[in-house]
Amino acid sequence: MAYKINRRAVVKGMGATGLAMPFLNAATASAQSGPITLGVVTPLSGPAQLIGNFVRHGAEIGADYINANGGVNGREIQLEFRDSKVNPNDASVAARELIGAGANLQLGTISSAVALAMGPLLESEGGVVITSGAGTDKLNHENYNPHVFRVGDSPVSRNAGLVRHIANSRPDIRKWAGIIPDHEYGRTTWKIFEATMRKVIPELTGEEAEIAEPVLVPYGSGDYRNYISQAMRLDVEGIYTSVYGGDAVTLYQQSQPFGLFEKTDVLLDSANEFLVATAMREQTPAHWSGFHWYYEANKGNPLSDDLYSSYVERTGDQYPMGWAAEAHAAIMAYAKAIEKTGNTDTMDVIAALKGLSFDSATGMRHIREEDNQAIKNAELAFIEPSSSEDSGFAVTDYVSLDGEKVVEPARPGKTLDLSTL
Amino acid sequence: MYDIGMTVFNGLAWAMATFLVAAGLTLIFGILHILNFAHGGFFMIGAYVSYSIMMAFGGSLPLWLYLVGAMASGIVVGLLGWAVDKLVFRRLRDVEDAYSLIATYALLLVCGGAVQLIWGLNYMGVMPPPALNTVVFVGDMFMPTFTIFIILSGIVAYIGLEFFISKTSTGRLIRVVAADPWMAQLLGLNVKKIYLITVIFSFAMAGTAGGLLMPNQSLSPELGGIFLLQAFGVVILGGMGSIRGAFYAALLLGLIESFGTYFFPQYPGIFFLLALAVILLLKPEGIMGKGQTA
Repeated sequence: MAYKINRRAVVKGMGATGLAMPFLNAATASAQSGPITLGVVTPLSGPAQLIGNFVRHGAEIGADYINANGGVNGREIQLEFRDSKVNPNDASVAARELIGAGANLQLGTISSAVALAMGPLLESEGGVVITSGAGTDKLNHENYNPHVFRVGDSPVSRNAGLVRHIANSRPDIRKWAGIIPDHEYGRTTWKIFEATMRKVIPELTGEEAEIAEPVLVPYGSGDYRNYISQAMRLDVEGIYTSVYGGDAVTLYQQSQPFGLFEKTDVLLDSANEFLVATAMREQTPAHWSGFHWYYEANKGNPLSDDLYSSYVERTGDQYPMGWAAEAHAAIMAYAKAIEKTGNTDTMDVIAALKGLSFDSATGMRHIREEDNQAIKNAELAFIEPSSSEDSGFAVTDYVSLDGEKVVEPARPGKTLDLSTL
Repeated sequence: MYDIGMTVFNGLAWAMATFLVAAGLTLIFGILHILNFAHGGFFMIGAYVSYSIMMAFGGSLPLWLYLVGAMASGIVVGLLGWAVDKLVFRRLRDVEDAYSLIATYALLLVCGGAVQLIWGLNYMGVMPPPALNTVVFVGDMFMPTFTIFIILSGIVAYIGLEFFISKTSTGRLIRVVAADPWMAQLLGLNVKKIYLITVIFSFAMAGTAGGLLMPNQSLSPELGGIFLLQAFGVVILGGMGSIRGAFYAALLLGLIESFGTYFFPQYPGIFFLLALAVILLLKPEGIMGKGQTA
């Protein structure tokens, strides 16, 4: 059937449009003047819920802080949560649904696999995400996507910072080994560790670093004794590990009767923050751990103090971990970007985020325009067992390193160049 | 020599830890023909119960209290087994296998949820009792006493189970029911009761294994899945339902995993799966044949 457009139909259409215009304008005005809804796609169930809880608290505390201080251009921030289940498929469904509901600005991604899946999806759907702890180097290198931002550490700044600090404070330790989880993130951290150590030790001592082949361990194993025996055969002075979460607790526990950590002078842990120490308490081996945010290193910073006290008040837990600060920083970045651009349109917010400097719980952060990677301080803490503390452990030293000095140069679309570390 | 000795020692530790978990799993399959996905979940609950007992006494326990804690975990999980039999397993006896798999998988999820509700999401860990937290030197080999204890526990569990199944009247009745439940019922045996005893006993073994293996292991709601895959591998290779088969399969797979890691360290954790696949291709019924309980 063919439609005929006649004068009467055109007049009817114009009349209907005229009648509807006030309502359409009101809806548009409401979208740019009512509350700002940010979508948080993070694990709310399953094995990674522990991390997702930190993200949830950090995001809520950040939103409360902004709202208590007048909102963004007078608009309140609202959060809409969805469960990613640390699964790219579930996270994609959740992100798409949130965009359909008007939450085109999102945060909360902690998993590298999910973060990598978000780029193409959000580009086609018209959204943007700020990750809250995803650690892959591909995010700002070969898989760079303008719709994905990382306002936390890159794996380079975290691991290179750890290495540079130890090499500077203990240049006498030149023989190193690694216990590395056999997956993409583990291998990435090791190559960063090895390249940085091979560069820094000769600069400091004039001698070459001796670095053994890493001991690769499987993910999610209940028995690490074979791998501990492998490590025991090595003649080394320091051990670096990026084994993570429950695997790290099991590895550390099973290492103790072998005396692995007594045999070496230094244990470097890339990212467990307080995960191992809260599980092992007074049995915790003394170690340096990388942190997204360590509150004692940021005492006096109002954002950090508010994040810490609010977190403790909400949970009763004295040991918040860095994912809370990463989600908190994502809220601060969105607030500043929306304030700057005056609206929540995806492309405008992306343009505002690029090159943005904003305040956070770790101080000022700057998002590089070229690769959407933030430059922020790399924080490390030394954790030791302590019988005088109720927790069974204590932080006896910490440092906050200038992010400019440990972050790699921007190379969006290209692989990480280890020679630049 | 040191390396070979340590590789054998570590392989035995893997084998006996896995056998402790797999023993209850294979017993339930042998008698009830239910592939119990929830077994790992109840093993995990046993570990958490034992953890709570340990923490209630200050965290570091003498050996005897650690053993009592493990047995108490076995009793608690055995009682849960009684409830599971009444509520779930009885309804699965005359239905297709797919329903059993779905029901027991759902039970595994319930176990994970219960652990989250009661103990929370944080990682937890305790060290072995001081008496087992030492090292024995044999030549230049150093063997943690807790690992020796686990190896001995596995061997004792195997001998005990063999004795129970072969020499006791209850064990013989279990074997009769496993072989032909219909005929056993005709002969006047209370088959339902024997099923119930088997379930309680199998669950109690899972709980005790959780209590025994809990030190040197991180506790989290993921724990249920960590040993389950290994235990299933051992049960399948041992010839579904055979305790003796599970014991030999655990030894075989443990040593293959250990030597594989020693000779090819760049491929960690795959030798167990590789060996399982190859052996099942050559001998699909498992190393002891199918359905031999004990």
